[in-house]
Amino acid sequence: MPRIKLSKPKGYIDYSLIFIVLLLLGFGLIMVYSTSSYSASMSSSANNNPAFYLSKQAFATVFGLIAMAVVALLPYHMWERFAGVAYVVSVVLILMVLTPLGMKINGVRRWLNLGISVQPAEIAKLAMILFLATLVCRLGGKIRTRNGFLLVLFSPAPICLMVWLITDNLSSAIIIFMIGFIMLFVASPEYRRFALITVGILALAALVVFLVLHMPDSGLFGFRGQRIRTWRDPEAYASGSGFQTLQALYAIGSGGVFGKGLGQSTQKLGFVPEAQNDMIFSIICEELGLFGGICIIILFLLLLWRIMFIASNAPDEFGGLLVVGVMGHIAIQVILNVAVVTNVIPNTGISLPFISYGGSSVMFLLIEIGMVFSVARSIEIQED
Amino acid sequence: MNRPGNRSGNRSGNRPFNKKMQEKLVVLFLLVLLAFVGLSIKLVTITRDNGERYKKQVLSQQQYESTIIPFRRGDILDSKGNKLATSEKVYNLIIDSKQMLRDPESLDATMSALSTCFPGFPEGEVREYVASNPSSQYYVTLKSLEYDEIADFVEIQNNKVDNPKIAGVWFEEEYKRVYPNNTLACDVIGFTGKDNIGSYGLEQYYNDVLNGTNGREYGYLSEGEMLERTVVSAVDGYNIVTTIDGNIQQIVEKYLYQFNEEYKNNARPGGNGANNVGCIIMDVRNGDILAMGSYPNYDLNNPREKSALLGSRYVNEKGLIEYEANSITEENIDELLTDDAVTYQQLNYLWKNFCISNTYEPGSVAKPFTVAAGLESGKMTGNEYYTCNGQLHVGDHDIKCHNYKTGGDGTLSVQEAVEKSCNVALMLMGRQIGKTTFLEYQEKFNFGLKTNIDLYGESRTNTLVFTQKNMGETELATSTFGQGYNVTMIQMIAAYSSLINGGYYYEPHVVKRITAQDGSTVQNISPRVLKQTVSAATSAKIVQYCNGVVVNGTGKTARPAGYAIGGKTGTAETIPRDKRNYVVSFMGYAPADNPQIAIYVVVDRPNVVFQDDAKYATRIVRNILTEVLPYMNIYMTEELTDKEREELDNLDIAIKNPADEETKETEEEGEGESEEADEEVLNANGGDITSSTPVSEEEMQSDDALTAPLTGTVLNTETGAPLVEDEEDAPD
Repeated sequence: MPRIKLSKPKGYIDYSLIFIVLLLLGFGLIMVYSTSSYSASMSSSANNNPAFYLSKQAFATVFGLIAMAVVALLPYHMWERFAGVAYVVSVVLILMVLTPLGMKINGVRRWLNLGISVQPAEIAKLAMILFLATLVCRLGGKIRTRNGFLLVLFSPAPICLMVWLITDNLSSAIIIFMIGFIMLFVASPEYRRFALITVGILALAALVVFLVLHMPDSGLFGFRGQRIRTWRDPEAYASGSGFQTLQALYAIGSGGVFGKGLGQSTQKLGFVPEAQNDMIFSIICEELGLFGGICIIILFLLLLWRIMFIASNAPDEFGGLLVVGVMGHIAIQVILNVAVVTNVIPNTGISLPFISYGGSSVMFLLIEIGMVFSVARSIEIQED
Repeated sequence: MNRPGNRSGNRSGNRPFNKKMQEKLVVLFLLVLLAFVGLSIKLVTITRDNGERYKKQVLSQQQYESTIIPFRRGDILDSKGNKLATSEKVYNLIIDSKQMLRDPESLDATMSALSTCFPGFPEGEVREYVASNPSSQYYVTLKSLEYDEIADFVEIQNNKVDNPKIAGVWFEEEYKRVYPNNTLACDVIGFTGKDNIGSYGLEQYYNDVLNGTNGREYGYLSEGEMLERTVVSAVDGYNIVTTIDGNIQQIVEKYLYQFNEEYKNNARPGGNGANNVGCIIMDVRNGDILAMGSYPNYDLNNPREKSALLGSRYVNEKGLIEYEANSITEENIDELLTDDAVTYQQLNYLWKNFCISNTYEPGSVAKPFTVAAGLESGKMTGNEYYTCNGQLHVGDHDIKCHNYKTGGDGTLSVQEAVEKSCNVALMLMGRQIGKTTFLEYQEKFNFGLKTNIDLYGESRTNTLVFTQKNMGETELATSTFGQGYNVTMIQMIAAYSSLINGGYYYEPHVVKRITAQDGSTVQNISPRVLKQTVSAATSAKIVQYCNGVVVNGTGKTARPAGYAIGGKTGTAETIPRDKRNYVVSFMGYAPADNPQIAIYVVVDRPNVVFQDDAKYATRIVRNILTEVLPYMNIYMTEELTDKEREELDNLDIAIKNPADEETKETEEEGEGESEEADEEVLNANGGDITSSTPVSEEEMQSDDALTAPLTGTVLNTETGAPLVEDEEDAPD
């Protein structure tokens, strides 16, 4: 296709965004090594190699950076025509988890073995951003109608349900749904409907929590009900379901203002399960203290600000919505991850973008950042 | 300034990212900002409100990381350095299911290796355990393995090239107490379980010296809250070197056992040769205990073995042997030992050291003390003569002499009174000495006081002796020949040693040196002279009288072939005074002219119909000395008869009578004995333990009440039968 050509180098390049992303990735690798080296050296499944997790993560990061560069150099409009395909592909990939290609890790069937292990949910997030951006553009003014609104609101629903029910991954399902919700929020000029929906969801959540807490023996909502009970009173379940949350809180609390120093965490020595993964933020707080933790939050805020900046200056609606989707994805994961670690919401498995261990997560995030760069490069700079 | 601007018409039909969207984007960003601020505040609150508590929580969790490194309990050695008790490192095989299940092939590989290397490995049981406890990391499978037993497996396990799949097995180290000679010197040594707490004997008395301090390997947070790992090594316990000579001890136990074999199952069916038979050999020149043993004995490696109780008489819940108590036999053991409490009643009695824990009335062995008190106080000159008509009227009673039926001993010198063990002459001496002086000397001889020997379980006898208040004329009379008050064997031999060594009362002791594990001396325990009981002149007279006992008197049967010894026999009635139950004994020393060792044998109620015969004790003394004196390199001084030569030949004892060396020998013998290190390994074969059932302390207390009964029963009702004392001299 003649249209596929590298865009001209004169486009806008957001160096601060590059800097922030590289900073987060570098810091992430350091923290992955710090949190995983002890348990890796003790684990025969990691060949007792302290750098086992680090090297896997570094490989995925390099791979992701290459993918990011390629995507950044391609014009983002070429993806528009793959929107429908992306939707279908993510459905197929999720279904493939049920085939022998599916991999079970820690008792949950969530991964696909495609040479490297991949979470279809991560692909679905990217696909959903692409699909919704395209859909909103196609709808044009119809998004103001009730039907248009509902169409955009519920088009992620089938994927969300599959992610939830087939791969048993409620947190990813919620993230996908919230990405769609945020994109719709930006695309639609409405406020009232969003306020109503938000209030409605919060009320429903409150009802569920109320029911669970007041019928402790009913086993209501299964293990998720148990997680809610644990959330309200983690010390009552200190040796069971509250162990991870409580140990994470101990880690944060024991770090103090400036922490114990990089690499000096004691909680990572087997006390905080999956320290290099969903709970990495607690170890950051233990080693680098409140100061380090808040610095990371500020770093993410800067990242989101740069992405917002690109989105609002995007040359067209498709590009802008694409970037909004990426921004929403990162924002939601950061907020939910920190909220879980600090026990603001019940425990659920959400990784911290760019920092937590997880190959497919970092690769797809970098591809998304590549798209942001691609959009940015289309911005024309007006010389004053 | 760079200012990005919108570019329109990039693609047909695409509207620009409009103002409304930009506005909503800002709203979205503000919402995200709000959420971030909220989470930051939450972080601050966690640290501020719970920081200290969580810090402590984290610290306390670290304690689980520490492991104990066990110390080694010190050895107990005999005077020649042979091990009487030692601690050996043993290994427990621990299964770690979690490690084993990490690799699916590990289980089978490990199980087959374990089954090959350990014959008794319960594979089925362990597989079942691993399957049902997959997360367990500590399961003790085999206990107390020697290093030889685990060596094969350790080699396989360490060879990671050929056996990469073996996992989840490790060995926990600990120490096990081992007594290489089983029953030998069990009363002196005592025993120690896994907890490193000694029971009885040296193990209990020197528990703190023998024990060390456990080491620990642990992680802790330093001041900067850095995790540090530290190993504090275990401090091993000290060894103790005893004065016990393993070979002498073995000879003693051999003959106590032989006595038992000879007289067991006799008058009391199924019973031992005596309730208890005990022997102490002591160096009179320094208070060293060279041997101390009793029968029945028990296996230190297996102290709770019930079969050791067979032949002993049943002990009631007060810890006493009742009059006419049954003997424990194969047939009745299950009936008698109904539960653990009853079994431990028996075992506790067995574990007690007869020589220091059991009290009894000494009988005529006390006579030399009476004579010594008279001579030393000046109340007697030693030139007196006493007339015995067979009985003496004291207070309201007639107290009879042993030869009452033959009309008495006639006129006797002091020496003859001791030689013939005449009660009447002694009672007359008692009158001469008087109550106050007599009691003063009782105390000088340490009767009623502990000797403070360094062994656990010495009895207190302070309530078992007479005082000014409760000693009347009758009590004084019976006390002169050793009835009415109670003593322990160790009290008697310690006091007697002072009578014959020139008057020096040494505190008897069993440990002479404390050493570190590397052999260096930590503490030397030197002999302690506590007091002078009598003058050298008095001592010489007592030696002269007691030599006469063996030459002319009641102790002839105690003399070993080739040697001259001295001593005194004793035959004491027990309570009740039924004229059927006796404690017979012999207190002796050798050589006669220059005493080096004292020996004391007590037979508590021999298993015979007529117990009142001191020969049950003198024969044991003779047997023991026949072997011990040559072993100690003491030269023979007496002519040997053909019969005696034959006897020595049979025992394979060289005749130590080199005429040419005779001049030097006597002087040097004293030192020569211990210098000659005998490397012979102790062997428990001959040393079966004899235990004795002495009059227990409680029994004695009732004896103390016995003062009354004694006078009452014995003297009142007993017009016919006198208190029987020493047996008359009967040739073998």
